Amino acid sequence: MLSRLVFLSANSLRSSGLIGAGLVQASRSLQTSSQRLAPVPPLPDHGGKVRHGLIPEELFEFLYPKTGVTGPYMLGTGLIVYLLSKELYVINHETIYAICIGTIIVYGVKKYGATVAAFIDSINEEKVAKAQAAKDSHISFLTEAIENEKKEQWRVEGRGMLFDAKRNNVAMLLETNYRERQHMVTNEVKRRLDYQIALQHLNRRLQQEHMINWVEKNVISSITPQQEKESIAKCIADLKVLAKTTQAKAAA
Amino acid sequence: MTLSLFDQFLSPVVCWIPLVAIAIILPWILFPSPTTRWLNNRSLTSQNWFLSQATSQIFLPINPPGHKWALLLSSLLIFLTTMNTAGLLPYTFTPTSQLSINMGLAGALWMGVVILGMRTQPTHSLGHLLPEGAPALLTPILVIIETISLFIRPIALGVRLTANLTAGHLLIQLTSTATLAMLTIMPVTAIFTGILLFLLALLEAAVALIQAYVFVLLLSLYLQENV
Repeated sequence: MLSRLVFLSANSLRSSGLIGAGLVQASRSLQTSSQRLAPVPPLPDHGGKVRHGLIPEELFEFLYPKTGVTGPYMLGTGLIVYLLSKELYVINHETIYAICIGTIIVYGVKKYGATVAAFIDSINEEKVAKAQAAKDSHISFLTEAIENEKKEQWRVEGRGMLFDAKRNNVAMLLETNYRERQHMVTNEVKRRLDYQIALQHLNRRLQQEHMINWVEKNVISSITPQQEKESIAKCIADLKVLAKTTQAKAAA
Repeated sequence: MTLSLFDQFLSPVVCWIPLVAIAIILPWILFPSPTTRWLNNRSLTSQNWFLSQATSQIFLPINPPGHKWALLLSSLLIFLTTMNTAGLLPYTFTPTSQLSINMGLAGALWMGVVILGMRTQPTHSLGHLLPEGAPALLTPILVIIETISLFIRPIALGVRLTANLTAGHLLIQLTSTATLAMLTIMPVTAIFTGILLFLLALLEAAVALIQAYVFVLLLSLYLQENV
């Protein structure tokens, strides 16, 4: 807060003529807070150390070299005794009240101090936790997205194989279809040719049968009865000769 | 010069320099302005938390046009709480124990809400002078009574705060004087009065916070009626 005062006063002084600039430069060694507003310097984790809740530790450290550990306590006691004995501090009704309210305040701080501090710290921690949760969820979302992307890339590699397989399938289907149609064509042609062959066979057979019938008819019609008798007699004579020879063979 | 019981309520003056302005303005440094940090130290975090809780609680029943009063009422709450609790410490002067300061706050703020109500929605504001569900015969009397109660509000607000704090401080002073006086003569009675003083101090601490809250709450109620 006071550094802002330095900036403002420095600006106004600088613009106020010759002496103004010199004054600002001269007092620069006394300005201890940082001269820049960003980055904001970090807050210390704990406040300044105090003893008995009121007296900063620096007083004890300051007096330690000369007066040791009991130095500041002797100083305090001496001061109080001096004020009381010289009646610079008069004991009146306010003293009694001060003792009362002092007891109440000290008791309250001792009893509820830690709880209240923990509660206030929890408010800050909730803030940090919310931001951390948002950050974590975002990081996990992005990690998932990266993994999904990698998966997709792997899938793309596999897609080539998929396309090859599909192409093979299609080619096989086409081949099968072609062969089927060819088979059908062959069958149809064979059927027609078989028909022609069967027709020819039929024709030939009819012709043969017709010829045989005609020949038989002519032969039978040409056989006269005399010829028939002669042939039968001859046959009987042959049979008799045969019978004789057979008998002779059998007897021999 | 002998001190009377009411000297603690005199406006503090040192060499004819009135200190009451410093007494009123100095507690302002206890409440630093918002920092450029995201996470603050404990005192600032607790102040911010308390203020946001209190403001949201007070403005819960008020419809949106009344939310313009949030800054005024929350700063009033902080002012009164700080004045009252700082006055609990020994040897301090409590500005809010002065009728002048409390009447100044109460009168001005009450008049503000009433004029706001009368200007923006006069029929609705005047309608509050006749409570709902009242039998028709009682209307004239009721209107008179409600008008009187309306005009007594600022006096009540101011005097309530003044009286509570003044009475508390006076009692504390009386009891502590009694304790001190009897400490040498009748120590046992002094111990009892000491216990009484202890309890009284606890009560005063509670009253300090409650009275500040009641002041702001009543103003928010009057605002709710009129906005």
